[in-house]
Order: sequence, then structure tokens, then C-alpha cells
Amino acid sequence: MSVYAVNKLCRRVVHEPALRQALNSDPEPALRAARPPLSEDELAALLAGDVGTLSKLGCNHFLLHQLGRWQVLGLDLPLYAERIREAHRDERAARSSSASPSA
Amino acid sequence: MAQIVGAFGVPHNPHFPTWVAQRAPLAEEIERMYGELARRLEEMRPDTLVYFTSDHYNLFWESLPIFSIAVADSAHGASDYPELQRDLEIDSELARAVQSQLVNADFDVGMLQELEFDHTVIAPLHFLAPDPAPRLVPVYINAFIRPLPSARRCLALGRAIREAVEAAPGGRVAVVASGSFSVEIGGPRISEESHTGVPDPDWVERVLELLRAADLDTLVSEATDARLWEAGNAGGELLDWIAMLAMFDPRPPDFLDVQPQFGHAYAAWSLA
Repeated sequence: MSVYAVNKLCRRVVHEPALRQALNSDPEPALRAARPPLSEDELAALLAGDVGTLSKLGCNHFLLHQLGRWQVLGLDLPLYAERIREAHRDERAARSSSASPSA
Repeated sequence: MAQIVGAFGVPHNPHFPTWVAQRAPLAEEIERMYGELARRLEEMRPDTLVYFTSDHYNLFWESLPIFSIAVADSAHGASDYPELQRDLEIDSELARAVQSQLVNADFDVGMLQELEFDHTVIAPLHFLAPDPAPRLVPVYINAFIRPLPSARRCLALGRAIREAVEAAPGGRVAVVASGSFSVEIGGPRISEESHTGVPDPDWVERVLELLRAADLDTLVSEATDARLWEAGNAGGELLDWIAMLAMFDPRPPDFLDVQPQFGHAYAAWSLA
């Protein structure tokens, strides 16, 4: 896995309006043109807006959330957040229970 | 010799200028808190602001300096928020003097010759220093991409910059740290309501307690990499505050207020 390639793509989304436009109009060629190249798994996850999988792969969350902020690949911030919560449901539950005051 | 006349700690939520302009529910509170600091800054009449901040993946990418000082004559921003647009002057003479003295003192700090500011500079100065703003000496501390510098090293950086500033010819210098104490952006520890969260409110309280007690040594010893990570994926921003605090002899703040829902605070020290 080349998590770096995903992180770099997310960073470019912030600074390249043309890339944002391409990701919304015809995303696959735009993703295949990314350098360094994305792996097939990364490409499939990006096309599906599956940030939960990308999160589990170890992508940088600050950069990943830019996909939601800039509303590309079918995402917006609420949907982004929902998918991150879902992907980390177990650890969030464990964290929540350990943070609760004991009875 | 330059004189350090004051210090500030500020948050840099990129939405605050827009929220205030649109009179959002928090507008009054944001204006009041930033306003307390802006009034003090105006009274201090600084010529220059030494500005500690951390790039949010906008400026550095191919190469990631642990520390870097901007020495350009000016820069524009915010590179990451098109709605925030401003040119700011840089005190390149002092910036070059500080960077040079740091390197001569075996403190290996990079020189940033051309840059755009991101929201961490533009958003706070929107409130703190409406036109004209004092010139800046922007100091970048890596607070995001691990390995981060240690709190101890950031303390040493602040002390070394203080020495360099006080040895330089010049006027009145204030210091600003831009950053939060506990924030998670887009990661697993976000809240149920938002794409952000405050994972470690206890740490926010502890930092405030140590600020009030002017106990910089304890703050530095407790601000371990593990604790900063517990505080969220932006928890490293406390390092900017530690460098700022190292620019003067420890004393309680003259003003300190907090917005716990954001994990950040506003602070001011009058030093003249």
C-alpha cells in the first residue's frame, strides 16, 4: 500500500481546483493520473468515497477529511464523519466506556 | 536592542472570521475573546510579531522541516481558505538575524524564502491585528507529521529566539502562538455531531492550570509525544505555545479564557 499517494492526492484537492472538478466529473482518469500511482485498492476506495477503508489503511485523517470538505468523490463533511465513525465503531465504544465515570 | 513587550496564545479556527461576519451564534463570544487580546496588542504598539505556528500540510510537503523561519519580505494567504485573503509584511531583517543566530548557536533551523500563509496565520490576525498589522517573524514548528520535536526542544527554541531577538537592533516585539490544546480533525476521535472533536478535555484543563500557575517546567515535562497524541491529531499545536512561553520569564497570564468545546484558549501576557 502506498498511503503516501492517497495523502498527496488529498492535499492536492485543497490546492488544485481543476483536480476537484475532475474528481467530480470523471474521477477515474483523474485518479489514475495521480503520481505516485494509487494502488488498485486505494483507487477503488476513493471512487467509492470509502474513507472508512482508507482510514483503516492508515491514511492521514486531516488530509482525508479534505475530500469531505471540498465535496469530491460523492462526499461531504457529514457523510465523511459518519463513515469514519462507522469504521472505528469498536474503538470508539471502548474509548467511550473507559472514559465514563465508574458507578 | 529589541524589547519583548508582550505575548499571546490564540486559536486559529478558520471559520471564526466568517461566523463573526455572518453573526453566527458564537460571534459575540469570539469577538469578545479576540477583542481582549487585540486591545492589549494595540496598547503594546509592537513593531514586529514573532509568530509561532504549524503548517497544516499546505506549505511543506516534499521536505518537512522540524523548524523553519520565513525570511521573505511579505506573503499572502490563506492558501487553504479562499475566503480569507490578505497580504502580510514580514520583518525579514529580524527574521534573517534570528535564523542566522540560531544556526550559529548550533540550532539547525531552516530558512523559508518564499511562502503562502495558511489559516493559522490569517484567521487569528483578522481579529488580533486588522490593517495595518505589525510585521511578522513567522516561525514554523512541525506539530503534525511525526516525529514531532520534543516539548523540551521547543522550549529551547523559544529561549534561543528570545536571545536572538533581544540581541538584535530594533524596536518592540510581541510574541504569538497559534494553536489548540486538544483537537481531532477528521479522525476516529471526532464527536458524534461533527467532523472534529476534543478528545482530551482533561488535558485542556491541565494545560490551563499550568498556564495559570506559570509552571512551564511541568508543562514541558507532561507534554510528552504520547500525551500530545492523546490530545488529538492536532494536539501537537501546544508546542507552539511552549515556544512562545519560553520567550519570557514565567508568569501568570494577564488574560486567559477558554472555549472548551473547541479545546482551545486565548491568553495574553503584558511584559513591558
